[in-house]
Amino acid sequence: MTPDRRRARAGRMFVAPNLGALAVFMLFPLGFSLYMSFQKWDLFTPPKFVGVANFRTLFTADPLFLIALRNTAVFTVGTIVPTLLVSLAAAAILNRKAKAIGIFRAIIFVPLAVSSVVMAVVWQFVFNVDDGLLNTMLGWLGLGPVPWLIDPGWAMVSLCVVSVWKSVPFATVVLLAAMQGVPETLHEAATIDGASELRRFVSITVPLIRGALSFVVIISVINAFQAFDLVYVLTGGNGGPETGTYVLGIMLFQHAFAFLDFGYASALAWVMFAILLALTVLQLRFARRMSLEI
Amino acid sequence: MASVGFEHATRRYPGTARAAVHDLDLTVDDGEFLVVVGPSGCGKSTALRMVAGLEPVDSGRIRIGGRDVTDTDPKERDTAMVFQNYALYPHMTVAQNMGFALKIAKLPRAQIRDRVLAAARLLDLQPYLDRRPKDLSGGQRQRVAMGRAIVRQPQVFLMDEPLSNLDAKLRAQTRSELAALQRRLGTTTVYVTHDQAEALTMGDRVAVLRDGVLQQCASPRALYREPANVFVAGFIGSPAMNLLTLPIRDYSVAIGDWVVAVPRDISDTAAQVVVGIRPEHFELGSMGVEIEIDVVEELGADTYLYGRIITPDGAIDQHIVARAGWRDPPARGSRILVRADPDRLHFFATDGRCLRRSY
Amino acid sequence: MSGPTERVIKRSVVRAVALYAALIGMAWCALFPILWALSGSLKTEPGIAEPNLFPAHPQWSNYARVFSLMPFWRMLGNTVLYACCVTLGQVFFCSLAGYAFARLRFRGRDTLFVLYLATLMVPLTVTVIPQFILMRAFGWTDTPWAMIVPGLFGSAFGTYLMRQFFLTLPTDLEEAAVLDGCSPWQIYWRILLPHIRPAVMVLAVLTWVNVWNDFLWPLVMIQRRDIATLTLGLVWMQGQYVSRWPVLMAASILILLPLLGVYGFAQRAFVRGITLTGFGGR
Repeated sequence: MTPDRRRARAGRMFVAPNLGALAVFMLFPLGFSLYMSFQKWDLFTPPKFVGVANFRTLFTADPLFLIALRNTAVFTVGTIVPTLLVSLAAAAILNRKAKAIGIFRAIIFVPLAVSSVVMAVVWQFVFNVDDGLLNTMLGWLGLGPVPWLIDPGWAMVSLCVVSVWKSVPFATVVLLAAMQGVPETLHEAATIDGASELRRFVSITVPLIRGALSFVVIISVINAFQAFDLVYVLTGGNGGPETGTYVLGIMLFQHAFAFLDFGYASALAWVMFAILLALTVLQLRFARRMSLEI
Repeated sequence: MASVGFEHATRRYPGTARAAVHDLDLTVDDGEFLVVVGPSGCGKSTALRMVAGLEPVDSGRIRIGGRDVTDTDPKERDTAMVFQNYALYPHMTVAQNMGFALKIAKLPRAQIRDRVLAAARLLDLQPYLDRRPKDLSGGQRQRVAMGRAIVRQPQVFLMDEPLSNLDAKLRAQTRSELAALQRRLGTTTVYVTHDQAEALTMGDRVAVLRDGVLQQCASPRALYREPANVFVAGFIGSPAMNLLTLPIRDYSVAIGDWVVAVPRDISDTAAQVVVGIRPEHFELGSMGVEIEIDVVEELGADTYLYGRIITPDGAIDQHIVARAGWRDPPARGSRILVRADPDRLHFFATDGRCLRRSY
Repeated sequence: MSGPTERVIKRSVVRAVALYAALIGMAWCALFPILWALSGSLKTEPGIAEPNLFPAHPQWSNYARVFSLMPFWRMLGNTVLYACCVTLGQVFFCSLAGYAFARLRFRGRDTLFVLYLATLMVPLTVTVIPQFILMRAFGWTDTPWAMIVPGLFGSAFGTYLMRQFFLTLPTDLEEAAVLDGCSPWQIYWRILLPHIRPAVMVLAVLTWVNVWNDFLWPLVMIQRRDIATLTLGLVWMQGQYVSRWPVLMAASILILLPLLGVYGFAQRAFVRGITLTGFGGR
């Protein structure tokens, strides 16, 4: 066998297990869930073909879908906007050579490593109306206790707060790395050109980390849109109180594993996929247009 | 008045043993083109950055136009800098790059446009105004960097090895264009380079730095003919001056067979002396020291011979570089006799100081 | 007069103070939930609302109670087992595939890789249900197999990471080995493996933490307590002992500790992993 053929064969063999896993656990499920979305199936009785009935119900006869959609949108925006602003500022502050800055960076990135489930349990404690830290601290300032996890509106706020807390370190790491890729001489040239530190940040740093910003936004949208772990642990599997935190991820889980309506849940999953895909393509298109303009 | 002054300026990087720039005392006159030259690590870029305000001054003062700017922010010093790698803003067009500083200074848009166009005309950049830096060649980028400095109409131009990233031919061409441009604009310029040929051809005066200490600051001609110490003598001029450390015996030194008289005032006070001879001052002939040629470099107009001195009792490993005419240079391996006019010799003390100039 | 003037010194001091104040503020925001959990874990139930950070009489007994209220060691063992198996498998199979994609030429290689990248976009929600059904078909529901096998043979992300890293290695290493007559397997195993330690560290750390923190999958797959993971155990405990904060906080801290340990030990690898996925810039 020629060396080239040998290498090609080795290449195929090396990739095979990996590809196999991908096919079984990724591609097959993809196809199968699409197939299931056209069925009605509860796992015990055989599946029944229902055509587009699931989708029709979803879009026209299920008020909870719209609520979930709205909640998910609110949660996504309520996570991403603060995350972006805070992480931009945090990365800017961390992007300098100061003594012990390494230690601060290590500390600020800690939320990256901790389990969101565990943190949700902890935050439940923080948000507790009677004994929680936040209401206690508000009490010191003379402000009334906030019904964090009891009132539907405030529950969404609490959710966003925890989500932002968890996402800021990730975004900060990515943005910081991008900022460090901006050559020092560009900053020096801008300083000599008369730019103040703020001006330099806005006119030089931010445009040059466009790629990272766009990446953070896209990843954050994908994660926030599918949020489940956090919501389940912080406010329970019903999206309470009173559907205040009823997001698409919860709805999916409910229909699949509580109601055992796998067909409907699959239809929902594919609708979510389609929305996500559209959002991602839009964002990529937008990012590219921005980079051409500047 | 836009002179630049270093007054006992010192900068030491934290954690290093010696200062990057030590007690530098130098004045650049208004409108002068001063070149700061030296080997890498000599502190020339640091000195330049001290004028820009990018490097803090540990002790001493910096003055621009008579005003003490040591504690002033870079953005208030009214200087413009051309960086070695140009530091163009990659996300802006050429026109935006050049106009950035003016936009910050809140100049009216019409005025910005006029100045940018004028500079573009001066530098032949008009066709490129709407392009991004990544679509330009190295030479074009270099001109944009110059343009960015010119539109500011600053008091001082600061240039940090702006030509070192260009290929040799472009470098030579841009050298003369740059010098002509500076003469035309009349702006005080401090120019840093490691290339001594650049220094000699461009500067009104040249300051030679070594290990952070100023060795000599003089016109190119004075630097070449009257080097103040051994370092300057060996640094300026290519190929370098021949420097031979020899013991003094009977008021003279022996270079191989060739005996050179040493002036009385020198031979009275020292036992050794460093003799400096420029390659072009050697004459090939029937008298002088015998050398065996190792390498013959034919450069077209000149030929340089690299060889070793041969004493009556065998070869010494003292190397000599001599310039021969372009006609029929001697062959490699052959032995020739060379000597120089005693009036053309330089004498230096063993600690490097210049003792007697030839001219 | 020499040296920086008083005004300059004062300005730089003010700036330093502002910077460190901001840094300390951010550090506090990052850590306070954990610190608060720690302090809560040492208090008694009625005294839970005390605003002090460290109680006068720390109730270490809360930690002991955790062990009696949930099979902590068992769950820890399970979680470690799953994390180790999946991490080892990921590292091995992804580096193998990554090497193949980076350096071995075979037909369809590049289109295949694009397919890999496309799967990165597929959201979790779409694949969870069919994977559950698949596990059921294999008879693996409520068994350790469901926790180990899906991740064992690697992932698209891991392969992507390793491929990118292999591409940065100089080709001379391999070329010398090829001239010496090594087979591709030998090249991979003997020559290149020692050089990819940084990437392996990154992938290992990310995979480990991912498995440790995974919640949805264990929730769906596991009902038996004896094969449950720590995160699952904690949520069960939360459901059972609602509002019994001290012991819940103690359990949380216990589960966080190994993670913080891994983070402290592998912090740089962690950050590099995030950055490599971010690849941010212009």
